[in-house]
Parts: sequence; C-alpha cells; structure tokens
Amino acid sequence: MLSFKIRGWNAYTPSLESADSWGNWLQNKYILPTDAPKPGLKNIPLMLRRRFTTIGKYSVEAAMPILAENEHIPLVFASRHGDVELTLSLLQSIANNEPLSPTSFSLAVHNAISGLFSIARKDRSEATAISASENLIPFALLEAATQLQDNEHVLCIICESPLPDLYKPFASSPPFPYAIAMVLSREEGDTFHLKSAPAIASEQGQNNELEELMALLLSHRHCARFPSTQDVEWTIQR
Amino acid sequence: MTDLKLDIKNMIIDALELEDISPDEIIDSDPLFVDGLGLDSIDALEIGLALQKKYGIKLKADSKETHEHFASVNALAALVESYQEKN
Repeated sequence: MLSFKIRGWNAYTPSLESADSWGNWLQNKYILPTDAPKPGLKNIPLMLRRRFTTIGKYSVEAAMPILAENEHIPLVFASRHGDVELTLSLLQSIANNEPLSPTSFSLAVHNAISGLFSIARKDRSEATAISASENLIPFALLEAATQLQDNEHVLCIICESPLPDLYKPFASSPPFPYAIAMVLSREEGDTFHLKSAPAIASEQGQNNELEELMALLLSHRHCARFPSTQDVEWTIQR
Repeated sequence: MTDLKLDIKNMIIDALELEDISPDEIIDSDPLFVDGLGLDSIDALEIGLALQKKYGIKLKADSKETHEHFASVNALAALVESYQEKN
C-alpha cells in the first residue's frame, strides 16, 4: 500500500468547471451541451496558445488554478490515447501520400502537452508522460506518488478524449474530452491510499475510471475501485 | 497592399493557425521570425509546406537563400514573383 496526500485538485471540461457541477453531473449523468464555450487560455501568449490542442487546453485549464504563480513542480502527464485525433490525421496524410504538417508532427508525440505546459509556465522541472491501456488512473497516481520520494509536491494531469469513430470498435473511451489535475503532496491535504490486490480477472475489464475517480475526489465515496482484465484490482481509499 | 502580399499573409495565417491576427497587422517589411511576428522554426517548416502546396515552390530547409526568402512578407512575395516569371 502506498499513501500520499492531495493538496488540491481540479477537473475541467466545458460546462463542468466547478466541483459542484461535476458532482451534479456524476449524480445525474446528463449529456453535456456541445456548445459550451471553449477555454480561451488568455493567460498564455498567442504564439504559444495556438499550439495547444483540445486536451492540451483542458489540461492547462485544470492545472493552472491549483498551482501557485511561480511554483516549480514536477509533472506526471497521463493519457491513454493522447492526442489521438492528431495522430489519426497524420496517418491519413501518410496514407494519402500528402506531406505531413510539421506542426502536427511535432505536437503528436505523447509528451508534447507536458512540454508546452513547461514552456508556458517557465518551469523546467522534470516531466514524465505515461500511457496505459487500462488502469491509467491508478498507474498515473502510482508514478506521481513514487516521485514524492524526491519532491515535496508532484503535479499529476490525467486527460482523455473520445476516440475517432474509426477506432471506436477497438477500445473504450470517455463520452467527452476532459482533464483532471491533482497536486500530490508529502504533507499537505487529505490522505489517500493506493493499493493493488489479486483479483479474479473480470471479462468486462474496466468500469468507468473517470466516474470512479471523480466520486472519490468529491467524497461521494471513500473507495474507488479499478478492476482490470489482468488478475489484479487497484483501489484508492481516503 | 498588393494582392500577392495579401494572399501570402492569408496563407501564413491559415497555415500557422493565427486566426487572432488580421492580415493588416502583419507589416510587409517586418521580420517574420524572432522579432516582428515572432515565428519559430516549426513555423518556418510549415510555411515551406504551404509555399509548396499553394505555389509549387520547393525550398531546401537548410540553405542560406531560404533564410533570406523567409525574412519578411516582402521577401516571400519577391520569391513567389520570380518563381512565377520563370514558369
């Protein structure tokens, strides 16, 4: 078992920008409006701002409010599929024998968002970009919590977007793009315990990771469960 | 502003996702890179690709001439004009 504290957290998708609105959505699971205003990122200079794709913008919106102005903090950036729309557009260009956009190519790497974030905040702390085909949330927290060995605080950003239709038959993805940011801390905030235990591999694999984590962060529940298709189950308790 | 220069500015705005900037905000003689508009090396590659798509001009990414052609909107317009005269 691994214990850590969370100094602050924030989740973002357009139309769910406060803990209350997330709590309301979690209880009612209504379909989100698609015409909600997108984040403006007005605090980031234009020349840098244009490089942030959707989940990049959401990551910034989620993380900025829980960080101090000039705080230097290592980052664990986690996304299962990353900027999958961008990756697909590049693959389609290759298939059509079209030249690739250098900008898209440079932004399609998995650590592009953490790199831009580092430039935008002028923070040269280390950044780790990870991915996992299941149990992304427990693994992201495992990585961030272990980095508390070397750091007082670690920022963890988890973001995901729906898969393009082409990929939908092959993997699960959330109904809307979102980003969740958490500042893990040695000393400050509520205590959480991360644990893995042997389990009977369930055919259905994962439940809804986003809902599990949000219910835990909002204290709707005291234990979040992350089953997997492997013979292990992760839990996070508070 | 000549039509060609306006076309080039619109090409830059489209290729580099600079929707917040209008063509008349880009000064013909201002540097495009570092100072002036403040573009970077990825933008240079992107403009190179846009020139190829729109005008059929192929440039070497690392040559000194390319550097000069990319100095400003004026320089890009001169490049396109000389290319169009030759072909």
